[in-house]
Amino acid sequence: MAAAADSDRGNTGTPVATADVRVRVRDLSKTFPGTRALDRVSMEVRPGEVHGLCGGNGSGKSTLIKILSGVYHADGGTIEVDGVETDAGAMTTTQAYEAGVRVVHQDLGVFPTMSIEENLALGSSFKTGRGGWISHRAMRRRTRELIERFDIPGSPGTQLGALGRAGQTLVAVARALQGEESDHGGLLILDEPTVALPAHEVEMLLASLKRYAAAGQSILYISHRLDEVMSCTDRVSVLRDGRMVGTYETSSLDENKLIELIVGRRLDRVFPDRLAAATDQRVLEVQDLKVGPVRGATLHVNRGEVLGIAGLLGSGCSEILRTVFGDLRRQDGELRLNGNVIDFSHPDDAMDAGVAYVPENRGEEAAFADLSVATNISFTALSRYWNRAWLRDWSLRRDASGLMSEYLVKADSQSALLETLSGGNQQKVILARWLRREPQLLLLDEPTQGVDVGARAEIYKFVREATAAGAGVVIVASDFEELVHATDRIVVLRDGEIVADRPTTELDADEVTRLAMASEKEIAYGN
Amino acid sequence: MATEPRAVPLKERPKPFGPLREGVRHTTVAGLLERGALPLLLVGLILLFSVLSSTGDTFRSSGNINAILGNQSVTGIIALAMVVPLVAGYFDLSVSAVAGLANVGMASAIAQHHTSVLVGILVALGIGLIAGTVNGLLVAGLKLDALVVTLGTYTFAGGLIQLYTHGTTIINGIPLSLSSWSSEKWIGVPKPFVLLIVVAIIVWYVLMHVPFGRKLEGIGSNSVAARLVGMRVNRLVFMSFIVSGLLAAVAGILLTSSTGSANPTAGPSYLFAALAAVFIGSTAIRPGRYNVWGTILGVFLVAVAVDGFTLMGAESWVNQIFNGGALVIAVAVSTLMGRRREAQARKASARQAATSASSPVAGAAPAQPSS
Repeated sequence: MAAAADSDRGNTGTPVATADVRVRVRDLSKTFPGTRALDRVSMEVRPGEVHGLCGGNGSGKSTLIKILSGVYHADGGTIEVDGVETDAGAMTTTQAYEAGVRVVHQDLGVFPTMSIEENLALGSSFKTGRGGWISHRAMRRRTRELIERFDIPGSPGTQLGALGRAGQTLVAVARALQGEESDHGGLLILDEPTVALPAHEVEMLLASLKRYAAAGQSILYISHRLDEVMSCTDRVSVLRDGRMVGTYETSSLDENKLIELIVGRRLDRVFPDRLAAATDQRVLEVQDLKVGPVRGATLHVNRGEVLGIAGLLGSGCSEILRTVFGDLRRQDGELRLNGNVIDFSHPDDAMDAGVAYVPENRGEEAAFADLSVATNISFTALSRYWNRAWLRDWSLRRDASGLMSEYLVKADSQSALLETLSGGNQQKVILARWLRREPQLLLLDEPTQGVDVGARAEIYKFVREATAAGAGVVIVASDFEELVHATDRIVVLRDGEIVADRPTTELDADEVTRLAMASEKEIAYGN
Repeated sequence: MATEPRAVPLKERPKPFGPLREGVRHTTVAGLLERGALPLLLVGLILLFSVLSSTGDTFRSSGNINAILGNQSVTGIIALAMVVPLVAGYFDLSVSAVAGLANVGMASAIAQHHTSVLVGILVALGIGLIAGTVNGLLVAGLKLDALVVTLGTYTFAGGLIQLYTHGTTIINGIPLSLSSWSSEKWIGVPKPFVLLIVVAIIVWYVLMHVPFGRKLEGIGSNSVAARLVGMRVNRLVFMSFIVSGLLAAVAGILLTSSTGSANPTAGPSYLFAALAAVFIGSTAIRPGRYNVWGTILGVFLVAVAVDGFTLMGAESWVNQIFNGGALVIAVAVSTLMGRRREAQARKASARQAATSASSPVAGAAPAQPSS
């Protein structure tokens, strides 16, 4: 297992010199009470390499990052950066920083209402003149240099909010690396940088990362999105249960192979078989719907069918779901549920009619983070426990425990707070909340965002089970590869209109991307 | 034309002190200590003042005990009125002034307009209903910041009281049957305290054992998510202000009875004591959440301390010192304990993540144990 790293060393798929090592991690171990988070993990990152780090939730990725950046002290092992070896059991955050280890987290920690210049200055210090006041000239010069060096699409005064997520990520990277000037020492760690990015911005970000690497920067790239890992990394290290499975040349892998390495056993596929459940009976019909950016969408979903809606961020996919669910009011058009015209003015009405909706942003729109799992799971079914005198709390909790085992939610108990669960388990709680109502129409907006491969497979299995029970399902996802695999049919939304409606047997992710892009220019962008 | 605005996340959500806990095991010493610290402190103070030679005799006297139980009932009901919208995340600072307004309205109806006591009570409840409606419309309807709006209606109601009474106390004309009610006992317990306990049980029942209360808690946790699981957020928040207004009116009715008058400054002056009780209460019983029994304990903790120190010879400053001091100490204790516990929760979360990774991955086939 750990030997895989060694056996691959001779196999150079990259132009980088082989023996050259920027970061060498040796025999890193870390034990938390009751858990071995890392078990003698070793890996190497070469100069100028984009090195992927993959693993399911709890595989030890975040522990490894925290040890590399000095947040956690390892129980044993060493970390060597640019030839300087440090005891990983005693390395402080300051030492890690001085060695050149920089982490850009998923939550970028940038300030959208401030300018690029201010954001960069907050990361180091404001340039001051002799009197101690801020020297704007010096700052401006420095900001321009950084903007040029990191290909940030803006000028020093540009407000960060206007940049888009990819641009903001670049600013965060620039802020992290600015102290290094043009000397490309150390290691840049990117933790799930693309979670909130639409497809074309992902490409822009990955292209920039490749350019940094080409200039000599070593990058450790952590992502659940395996297609990105496959497309932008030179090598990939895989962690499983706190152990290093191995380091592989990316060119020697494909996505299925990588999944196998991550989950540790052969998965015939992550996505369950399409059940022959689809019928001709229409659950939902949308006729000439106008809402937000949607300028006349017509689509339908049948019982037992999974429909995907593909579109770029801001194309209005989410607005369609929200309108059906009664959260947004349509401007025009007609909606029918089981043949009856519907006009929901509140989600409550939609729920009564058998519609369920899992929103895009779990933290802000679905999770009651500081309440228990039982409470979270019961909010869609409170009235069932009301016997007109009191709330039958005992049944509520017992049912919650039952649902947790039915939907494979891992938590201490039904009384654990939702925030103590991993992303995948939280999402399963949200899904269970809706599936317990046996909805006729299930609307899912980015159902696997921030969810690891294993939980993702489970979620799609539950979705298929719902269709087998007769539900119609609509999925919106910005990961088109996943959308193609998880759905029976896809409609593509572009410029507010449906431009394609095809069975997924006739589509692949590239084709969906091509259809979803607004113009040829944008298709070329990023390559 | 435009799409309907989304449910508004309010800018400032008053969060109870300390991290919220529900799932922590209650069996740990720290957990028990935390849940029980306030009751223990209360018992400790009572014991202390009972044995101290300077206070013991007077403190233990039934007259003193009855005075504390009776006098604090108004504070308690006003504090409970505040708790209801707070569970949903909205301050209602107007409650004490609304109680004062109800007090004046009721006393005026009975004493100056010669109505029956029953009509006086209805007048008070009507005032509470109107105040709750106004607050509810401003906060849930117009989506204004609750803290600022209710501070405004608090001041406004105080002004109305002054306008109506010209600053004079309505003192003549309250029938003895009404004013003596408060000094009567029911199996040895002052009736105002019985009323407080009845009100507390009702509020506790509504918050914990009726869907309405659970929904308020959901809104307090995440109002956007609450709407998206079908809760009529605006309606529920509006209702919480109505309940708050009515409870404030009950406090006003009790105030009329216990003072046998309507002093224009009496009602509004309860604001800080009630606020302190609510926040102290959020550190006990259900630590980290505004709760009924914690609030009641908070009321009596401060009351006993103030009473004891007054008996020891302290003067009127002791009231403010205690309300303020207890509040700050409550925050400090709960925050410090919370930080330690948060670290434990983080470890538990890491452990949970690690164990979940080693469990089987379900693909198309049902999951089977792998190790």
